[in-house]
Amino acid sequence: MIRTTTVPRPARVAAAMVGVAGVIALAGCSTGGEAGDSAGAPTTDSGASTAPSTSDAASYADGTYTGEGSYATPESVETITVTVTLVDDVITEVEVVGQPQKAESKQYQGQFVGGISEVVVGKDIDEISVSRVAGSSLTSGGFNQAIEQIKSEAAV
Amino acid sequence: MSAPESPAHATWCFDAIGTSWEIETTEALGPGIRARVTECIAQFDRVWSRFREDSLVTSLARDPREVGAPADAAEMLDAFVALSAATAGAVNPLVGRSLESLGYDAAYSLVDRGAAPAPLEWVDQLTWTGERMRLTAPALIDVGALGKGRLVDLVLAVLSPAVPGDIVVDAGGDMALRGGPVRIGLEHPYDARRAIGVWEVTDAALCASATNRRAWGDGLHHVLDARTGRPVTTYAATWAVAATAMRADAIATALFFDGGVELAHGWGVEWVRMTTDGRVEWSPGCAADLFTGPDIVDV
Repeated sequence: MIRTTTVPRPARVAAAMVGVAGVIALAGCSTGGEAGDSAGAPTTDSGASTAPSTSDAASYADGTYTGEGSYATPESVETITVTVTLVDDVITEVEVVGQPQKAESKQYQGQFVGGISEVVVGKDIDEISVSRVAGSSLTSGGFNQAIEQIKSEAAV
Repeated sequence: MSAPESPAHATWCFDAIGTSWEIETTEALGPGIRARVTECIAQFDRVWSRFREDSLVTSLARDPREVGAPADAAEMLDAFVALSAATAGAVNPLVGRSLESLGYDAAYSLVDRGAAPAPLEWVDQLTWTGERMRLTAPALIDVGALGKGRLVDLVLAVLSPAVPGDIVVDAGGDMALRGGPVRIGLEHPYDARRAIGVWEVTDAALCASATNRRAWGDGLHHVLDARTGRPVTTYAATWAVAATAMRADAIATALFFDGGVELAHGWGVEWVRMTTDGRVEWSPGCAADLFTGPDIVDV
């Protein structure tokens, strides 16, 4: 069961994505050399890959991985810590701790936002009887090849 | 992921424009209609793909000029005007060079060469009428914010008059439906084996966008703020249901930015979005069944 630990306020997650995307895309290695460290991009100390849709993909060591990062916004420098727990190549827990973002005003939300939940619970897709799944675009071709190449260079 | 309650159906699977397509119909599609769908996609790709050397947008980036307006130009670029205005310029059809600079280029170099903001006054560089389209600077057009949705609509329009019964056109999670209902799982952006909710959709389109899959590490992914040239960071995934896939796709993009929910309200589009730290928000009256915790905040 995935448990996404939320911080009290929405975190400015530059680095959350950094951490998480970095963790997902780049397995078990420093990412500084792969993607460069320009423009204040955070670094991920260590990571691992999920390969969620293909169970026979490369394996990554179970454990908890933490990445810290900072990035510059027009107003400030934001910092964040992302901790990811991996079990059998699946991210079982994601924790993000960071500075609260500048939120849209309450009045604005009241007019256009129907509701907010601080906690989302992932359910196993095989258990909810759906015929389609919508998320990030399934990709094919060159993009996946490039990602696989990066992952193969990074796998434990 | 079968749907035991649905009637017999046939699914045609293929890869095109860098994604996996599934077209589901009650009866198998014959070679004639398949050829027309294939040609529809190929025509769109030849004009709008920045991943093709021989596409119109690649040619225009090398040699800015006035051309006869390609099909779909006015519909898509008019929608970009609304998107750009709603998001204070964060969504911009001249963001192609910004994506390239981060490494999401035609060669998939995936090497970050730094942030490159897109031209803010893009309507000064790109103009169009129903007949003509003119680019005055060597900018690279990228219709990714809504182009796939538009193409899904086009494919459904090819199929609709020729095919009886329910139709699902699903281009890697962006889909348009005739008939239904179809139960659609909302994929957890951090774990593709899980869903954060189910949305039952009939006679409408659902498009999704997320920053996890087309990501190449260190915070780099394909949803950029055109004003900075950097990837967005607050939201991890968005979903939108609209009458057309183009509008659903456009809102799914806009929801990554301030102003997106206002445009959704104006267009009457329902939506769900998840922040990168796991919070979920939804539109007033949203029909999606979300797997949320007990502490829902009334706003």
